[in-house]
Amino acid sequence: MIGYTLPTVLSVIAVAVLELAVLRTGLFRKPAYWISMVIVLGFQIPVDGWLTKLSAPIVIYNEEHSSGLRFPWDIPVEDFLFGWALVTAVLLLWVKQGQPRSPADPGGRR
Amino acid sequence: MEDKWQYLLVLGGCLLITLPLELFGQGVYRQPRRLLCALLPVLVVFLAWDAIAIAAEVWTYNPRYISGVNVPFMPLEELLFFIVIPLCALLTYSAVNAVLGILRDRPNRTVGESRR
Repeated sequence: MIGYTLPTVLSVIAVAVLELAVLRTGLFRKPAYWISMVIVLGFQIPVDGWLTKLSAPIVIYNEEHSSGLRFPWDIPVEDFLFGWALVTAVLLLWVKQGQPRSPADPGGRR
Repeated sequence: MEDKWQYLLVLGGCLLITLPLELFGQGVYRQPRRLLCALLPVLVVFLAWDAIAIAAEVWTYNPRYISGVNVPFMPLEELLFFIVIPLCALLTYSAVNAVLGILRDRPNRTVGESRR
């Protein structure tokens, strides 16, 4: 589990820390973010499911490095953590740039 | 259709399906600088992670379903994956934000977020 499970868990922690301690964009409090995550998840399942299906896999995982848990279909559960960290990190940087630079800004105007 | 285009076709499909979302709000492709600044730092980290995982054989690619074009350390498709998937997420978020904004600004607010 060292090669995939561990780094995915660490990546989730790193992204959460990036937001909560460094960027502080408030993204996790925005309904738009969570609605987007549900939509992204809805599309990840067919796309990732196609890439990882054991009958004709495009990406082949070495099971020594993962938990071996695959759900739904043959998707390694680690993929969902990996995907969350990837898209959330990009969204955080995107939202950060859309916010006013000044710390004096009261925020929450939208 | 030859099998070796499968991974590329999946990625192309993702771009195609999310393309209309660009019409909502300020879009994503129309803000190329903001897009690059959001994407590049994350891309560097995840490509490094991916290159290490491939070198350590944590995962491999079925040669049957990839084009065979390689960029350093990985198949072309894998590099594109780390561009396409964040793009899809950004387009989704941008569109959801725009739609919520429209609903919120209507006189009869149906999606009620109290203004602070």
